[in-house]
Amino acid sequence: MDTSGKEKEAMQLMAEADKKVKSSGSFLGGMFGGSHHKVEDACEMYARAANMFKMAKNWTAAGNAFCQGARLHMQLQNKLDSATSFVDAGNAYKKADPQEAINCINAAIDIYTDMGRFTIAAKHHITIAEVYESELVDIEKAIAHYEQAADYYKGEESNSSANKCLLKVGHYSAQLEQYPKAIEIYEQVATNTMDNPLLKYNAKEYFFKASLCHFIVDELNAKLAIEKYEEMFPAFADSRECKLLKKLLDAHEEQNCEAFTEAVKEFDSISRLDQWLTTMLLRIKKTIQGDAGDLK
Amino acid sequence: MSSDFEAYEQDFGTLTAEITNKIGRIPKLGGEEKTQLVLNVDKQLEEVRELMEQMDLEVREIPIQSRGMYQSRLKSYKGEMEKLEKDFKRSRIAYSDEVRNELLGEDAGSSESQRAHLLDNTEKLERSSRRLEAGYQIAVETEQVGQEILANLHSDREKIQRSRERLRETDANLGKSSRILTGMLRRIIQNRVLVFVLGATILLTIILAIYFNVRGH
Repeated sequence: MDTSGKEKEAMQLMAEADKKVKSSGSFLGGMFGGSHHKVEDACEMYARAANMFKMAKNWTAAGNAFCQGARLHMQLQNKLDSATSFVDAGNAYKKADPQEAINCINAAIDIYTDMGRFTIAAKHHITIAEVYESELVDIEKAIAHYEQAADYYKGEESNSSANKCLLKVGHYSAQLEQYPKAIEIYEQVATNTMDNPLLKYNAKEYFFKASLCHFIVDELNAKLAIEKYEEMFPAFADSRECKLLKKLLDAHEEQNCEAFTEAVKEFDSISRLDQWLTTMLLRIKKTIQGDAGDLK
Repeated sequence: MSSDFEAYEQDFGTLTAEITNKIGRIPKLGGEEKTQLVLNVDKQLEEVRELMEQMDLEVREIPIQSRGMYQSRLKSYKGEMEKLEKDFKRSRIAYSDEVRNELLGEDAGSSESQRAHLLDNTEKLERSSRRLEAGYQIAVETEQVGQEILANLHSDREKIQRSRERLRETDANLGKSSRILTGMLRRIIQNRVLVFVLGATILLTIILAIYFNVRGH
């Protein structure tokens, strides 16, 4: 009862605002500078209408209202207000129509980069990438946005957030089998975090992932890489991950599938392997089995 | 003579066999039977001793050349007899297995209890090793959680630093704008003063002009 009442109010407000906008285009209004007032009023009314639609949980209508308000703001050259309205529109659309949401947020990003506010733009790139990850499942575009966000963050010297984005890029590139890129990213991140006392406990994990990617490409590469990492970062040599890698290398050399599985099982019994790791290890195992099959 | 000796030897053999047998049975029995057996064995031991003495006398009557063999036999028989006496004494105070079992309860056989004991130990060891592994797992998980927290802290640190920078900038900008506003205010006051002064001058000039005009008439 309440929501439908709100909706009706909202529709009324929208209609009024539309009328105001149209009327401001008329001759006399423009003459006396009243047009600005009218358009501003119209913007405000659009915002209120959109809020009421949100209360009524009519996300598409709310997004629509916010979008119109944003366009009006652009006309008035209020870039900041326009950008915020676009972002609100994007948030509203996220719950209903992901594609529209992405469009709105893209528009907002353009405005922000124009103004030079790269941090916020990067944050919105991440939002878009998340939408691609979860709702539209377009991993390539997600990677592109994450990369863009990481670049912006690097430009603004927030290395921590940049690392977060880069990790996601590496994650998905490895899943899509773009191994050289993934290797480069993981190595880069690992070298960056190695020196930082807060983050150095993460570094060994990144080295591990980089070595796994090396492994999938070529076993010899993996050996060289592991030696290089051990030299760079002695703590890596002590970790259980390094021991696992060495066992896997041996198993691969001997083409011994059981030793491979056993080493993996042993590692899993202490700390569970997550989705990404299991996929990578499975690929490596398939190469072992594939080689054995060829030999036959 | 020697045939006597041999007869004595045979008797000795049979008697010792009987005594050993009875000595073996004594600990297992109790009460009446035990006392009877004990008396029996006592009597037989007496007979054995008499036999020994007679054997001794016989050996003395044998000519010296062949005495050696008999003497050594005699010595071994003496040793056996002493041993039998010792055994007899021990058996009288010995506890048999059954009496021990009666005392210590239903524990049928020590070997079984040992086995159960060992199994218990193995199980305890296994339990402790399982607990250690679980503890290790938890430690590793804690480490991972710690890693994540550290990464979050780091990024929060950067955010806070950025906000501080922005605040300083805003502060500087506000200072500048307030200075500009005071400047504007000053200029407004100046302009107003100027306008008043000019107005006053013009008024004065007009008044003077009219005055001179009127005077000039």
